[in-house]
Amino acid sequence: MSESGIDAERRSFIACALTPSLIVLFAVAVLPAIYLVVTSLTPFQLTAPGSATDFSVPLRNYGLLPGDPRFVNSLWVQAKLSCWGVLFQVLLGMLLALLLNVQSRFVEFARTFFLIPMVLPPIVVAVIWKLIYTPDISPLYYAAQLLNFTMPALTSSVDFALTAIIIADTWEWLPFTFLMVLAALQTIPDEYSEAALVDGASKLQIFWYVTLPFITPILVISGMFRLIDSVKAFPLIFLLTSGGPGTVTEVTNYYAYLLAFDTNEIGYSSAVTVVMLLLVAGISLALVWMGRRREAMA
Amino acid sequence: MSHHSGRRATPGRLVAITMTLLVVLSPFLWLLQMSFKSNDQILQFPPPLIFTPTLENYVSLWHSAFSASFVNSLLSASLSTALALLFGVPAAYALSRWAGRGKHALSFAILVTRMAPPIAFTIPFFLFYRWIGLLDTVTGLVLVYTSFNLPLVIWMMQPFFDTIPVSLEEAALVDGARTRTVFTKIVLPMVTPGIAATAILCFLYAWNDFFFALILTRTNARTAPVAVVNFMNYEGWEWGKIAAGGSLVMAPVLIFSLAVRRYLVSGLTAGAVKG
Repeated sequence: MSESGIDAERRSFIACALTPSLIVLFAVAVLPAIYLVVTSLTPFQLTAPGSATDFSVPLRNYGLLPGDPRFVNSLWVQAKLSCWGVLFQVLLGMLLALLLNVQSRFVEFARTFFLIPMVLPPIVVAVIWKLIYTPDISPLYYAAQLLNFTMPALTSSVDFALTAIIIADTWEWLPFTFLMVLAALQTIPDEYSEAALVDGASKLQIFWYVTLPFITPILVISGMFRLIDSVKAFPLIFLLTSGGPGTVTEVTNYYAYLLAFDTNEIGYSSAVTVVMLLLVAGISLALVWMGRRREAMA
Repeated sequence: MSHHSGRRATPGRLVAITMTLLVVLSPFLWLLQMSFKSNDQILQFPPPLIFTPTLENYVSLWHSAFSASFVNSLLSASLSTALALLFGVPAAYALSRWAGRGKHALSFAILVTRMAPPIAFTIPFFLFYRWIGLLDTVTGLVLVYTSFNLPLVIWMMQPFFDTIPVSLEEAALVDGARTRTVFTKIVLPMVTPGIAATAILCFLYAWNDFFFALILTRTNARTAPVAVVNFMNYEGWEWGKIAAGGSLVMAPVLIFSLAVRRYLVSGLTAGAVKG
């Protein structure tokens, strides 16, 4: 075969290998987004035929959003859930990583088991916490009774429902931040802290001046990852509180779900989703930008 | 190996680690033990920690509609994994050997499919499926899972192909072999471990899904995660069955994910750390 024959043959192979995937990626990443934006410009309801193509007042849905108390409230609930969840996950994940950053066969073995909450199907995590939060069968309520302490019903209380979700979410995703911070800790050369130790630095000082600056970027990045994913916390809310009591735990994602699949307001739900997508896209772009900058610095 | 205070495993630290592990895993263990209790034992107060385990919950699940849901889950997860590998592995190879514009399209697609909340896709998918009659079918689920696993396959497989020296392929090409043959006979056998790890991750993503299955299925194609939830809503509060169902849903996940834990992080962070 001639040199150019090999090239042509190779090019056609590459084209054959790539084309189906690129088509699927386009169909899955781009088409739904376009469709969503178009639908958000209509008052589409499943029960009203013709409403899917009614573009007479295209920005009606977006105009309604700022005056919709449930939408505004859902953003606020999401902000609370995300901020507290991410804060706890990063802090506890870091503490756990520091605790487990030792060389021992036993600890290496134990690390695997710390990952369990993260790999469980999200719906199983929700079932697990449903068992913990249901007074009749929960070890938590039994322990409270032993201590002569009356536990409030966590998931149906206005004061505690969101906290209950945050606790379950933190339990589920703690292993993620733990794993990322541990990986970063293991790249710190031992010489740094040894030198500090020779200079008479205390353990706390070593943590503050040697370890922390080293792992700060990974703390920020893992926090951002969790921030983006916290928008998806659906099974926990679906199973534990259904957004209630009232709208105390109704995040934007859940509100959009109720709108589209409970009240059939597809058009309005699409507008809510588009706003949510824009927010997530903003955070994602910041994350990519930080990742690139970090790679450039390394 | 250097030794200093921060990295040595003191007995005190080992005890602290063990205690933490027990606390962290206790909710999970509670579900597991409950699945082996009869409903009377579950409602007993105080809860008995030592009891005669029973398999009655699992047996009654086996004879209920749950087993069909379990089969639906197995089918949709494994078929979508196979399809995603079929499309994605050659694409990853092509991208690894030929750095073209496809790379940008790829990282964009990965970013979108991984970062966007599923509701953004479910509305279009739901309406489209309703229109062409794919609602409540395993085929519909396979299509959704395949398309979301495809970027993951490409993302995971590319580094494996990158590590294979090009000189190997060139030698074969000079001998007159076709690119297709080089790919299937020389390159693919060298990346089998990578394919195995990728396949497991794909399977887990499809298996773990709750949201798509909740909206795109009703009764025929209902998957195991959705079936577990239905024990709560319609068939009364059968805690034993719920616990057993949950345990069954998580069993394959625990086994597989421990096998691929090295790749878990790169799978979870796909698309962002290295764009």
